[in-house]
Amino acid sequence: MVTIADSPRVLDAHASRVWLRRFARTTAGVVVLIAIVVSTACIVGGLATGAALNARITEQRAVLENTEPFAYAAQNLYAALSATDAAAATAFLSGGSQTPLTRARYQQALAAAASALADATAGSPDMATRQALAGISAKLATYTGLVEAARANNVQGFPIGSAYLREASSLMQTSLLPAAAKVFTDDLARVDEGQREVGRPPVVGLLLLGIAVAAIVVGSVVLFRRTNRQFNIGLVVAAAVVIVAIGWVVVATRLAAADIERSRVDGTAKIEQLAEARILAQQARTDETLQLITRGNITASEKAFFGYTDDLLARLGTGSPAAAAAVESWVAGHRRQVDAYLAGDYETAVEQALSAERGGSAAQFGTVESILREDIESTRATLRVKVADAGRYLAWTPTGTLVLTIVAAAAAVVGLWPRLKEFL
Amino acid sequence: MKTRAAVALLTIALTAAGCGASATPPPSISLGPAVVRPAGAQGVTTPPQATVADCDVEASLRPGAQPPPGDMPPGSTMAQIEKRGRLIVGVDQNTFMSGFRDPATGQLAGFDIDLAREIARKIFGDPQKIELQVVDAGQRESALKSGQVDLIVRTYSITCARKQNVDFSTVYLYASQRILVPKKSRIDSAASLSGKRVCAVTGTTSLTRLYELQPKPNLIEVTSWTDCLVMLQQAQVDAISTDDVVLLGLAKQDPSLQMVGPSLGTEPYGVGIAKGKEDLVRFVNGALEQMRADGTWERLYSTWYRPLGPSPGPPEPRYQD
Repeated sequence: MVTIADSPRVLDAHASRVWLRRFARTTAGVVVLIAIVVSTACIVGGLATGAALNARITEQRAVLENTEPFAYAAQNLYAALSATDAAAATAFLSGGSQTPLTRARYQQALAAAASALADATAGSPDMATRQALAGISAKLATYTGLVEAARANNVQGFPIGSAYLREASSLMQTSLLPAAAKVFTDDLARVDEGQREVGRPPVVGLLLLGIAVAAIVVGSVVLFRRTNRQFNIGLVVAAAVVIVAIGWVVVATRLAAADIERSRVDGTAKIEQLAEARILAQQARTDETLQLITRGNITASEKAFFGYTDDLLARLGTGSPAAAAAVESWVAGHRRQVDAYLAGDYETAVEQALSAERGGSAAQFGTVESILREDIESTRATLRVKVADAGRYLAWTPTGTLVLTIVAAAAAVVGLWPRLKEFL
Repeated sequence: MKTRAAVALLTIALTAAGCGASATPPPSISLGPAVVRPAGAQGVTTPPQATVADCDVEASLRPGAQPPPGDMPPGSTMAQIEKRGRLIVGVDQNTFMSGFRDPATGQLAGFDIDLAREIARKIFGDPQKIELQVVDAGQRESALKSGQVDLIVRTYSITCARKQNVDFSTVYLYASQRILVPKKSRIDSAASLSGKRVCAVTGTTSLTRLYELQPKPNLIEVTSWTDCLVMLQQAQVDAISTDDVVLLGLAKQDPSLQMVGPSLGTEPYGVGIAKGKEDLVRFVNGALEQMRADGTWERLYSTWYRPLGPSPGPPEPRYQD
């Protein structure tokens, strides 16, 4: 009867284990063991740190090349859609069929919306976003159909034209714009997530490098006791090199993290504020024109308008005095519109709302809108510069750590070789 | 055994690595059609304002001696209006022929608007001294009660229920409720509306009457009659039912539609005035008397409602005192 323990292979393994255990107790065995453990620890630590740093560089590239441009496209999409609706409403209020100017403005806004939609769609990271963008695309086609139906009826002098326009505007306000705003906030959240990823220190890698240093220290002590010699120069060099690697990684990631923090505070967070401000401004403007189209009791709509503008001013705070001043004069213009309206002077109210002359609400809103747009552009530039800077600190760290840890491993082996040679 | 297991594991690992791009196609998104409805369109579930006990619907206050324009009796409601410099009237801007916004000029026009201007003329001697405020059908009572407007001239049917909350002038127009459908439709009467989707405006007597039909059609309420027309053109409803003067305006905007069936009921239109302004009610009735007598009414009727057929002549006023 042959038991498992008696099988030759098990006997073999058993024998080699016994031999290994005996060899490890010899000084030569200890030296070999130290060489193996130290070089392995160095290389594993180097690989882990390098991989982690590499992941941060990949993420940093993704922020610059994907997520940030898509968030920007989504923000443009919202603005362009809103501008499209404003152009359609203005054309309606100014009476008659569209003039060549209002038509051109509408088509310009539509083209901008289509461009932003293409940009945003190209970068949609998941099914939900793609679904949302496809919905926007389908509804935008429906929207333009309704606007053209309105135009065709307006030309014939039929009041159903305004019903089509109201339906179009309702589609825009209740479906298209909220969907675009959602895509933008999701995109921006992803940008922020990416930034935080870049700024995170490679803790596991650093811990492994620390273990490598500890292994070198323990190895040195053991070796010192066994051989009664001074510290092994190879191990000392290895320790120094690993410590240099750790220092480099810590300094580089700290510097990168500082830049990332700047890019988040002065970039992402500010863009979010500005985008919200822009949305509020556009909502207030929609409200202002809609109350003239509805031409009824404006109490509720006035309350909404001042809700939007107060919120807008609070959000702008002291950060953008130019924008705040423009909002103030827009609100003053709006008061003139309401005064005229309440005095029964509808024509003057419409004139005030649509005038692109100085003091006209359209002109004032245009100023607010362009200041906010420029602020978003410059904040975006800050964000990108800071993220790019962070990347510069990290650029050589994966290769560097890997090279240094290989050097350290090699130094340990080379340093231990003479000790081992004594026994051969 | 062990070797074989290792080989198997290795094979699986390699296959998995090699299969980064799977043969299964990545999921595609699919959307349903984009559904659009006019804002506020909804199915009617709660019964609209119920009809109340009988009253003498058409009787109003008898006009006294009509003051000449620009010389309103001191202390009267009309004198206050005169002092303000304009008459504020709640009107419609979406009902073609009755009260609508002319898209070419941006001005409000229609039978009701002209009638309101004539009343302004009686106060000021100038039909332009008027402020037209757009009031939704469902907001007519509250606009009068809050003092937002002096008068409502907006295809406003006089009913006993409404008379409990607002005063009315004498009848200035009789309308009859009918049905508007596409020419190809098989609907030809109230009975054939059963099971069909029918559109009407919130807060109107038309909606109340449709709600009382047996069997009840699927009712959809919106905020203006043109919204009903949009839904009919977008095949979201099968028919619209309201007063012939309103349907006439809708049919004019879409030649593929026609009015069908006998009258579902007669609607007497009056000018709405807030409670407690007896002098204004009498004054408006006096103004209406003058318009009947001097041919103004006929002129307005033939301007706006000629396609309904020859003029039936102005409604005879009835007074309660």
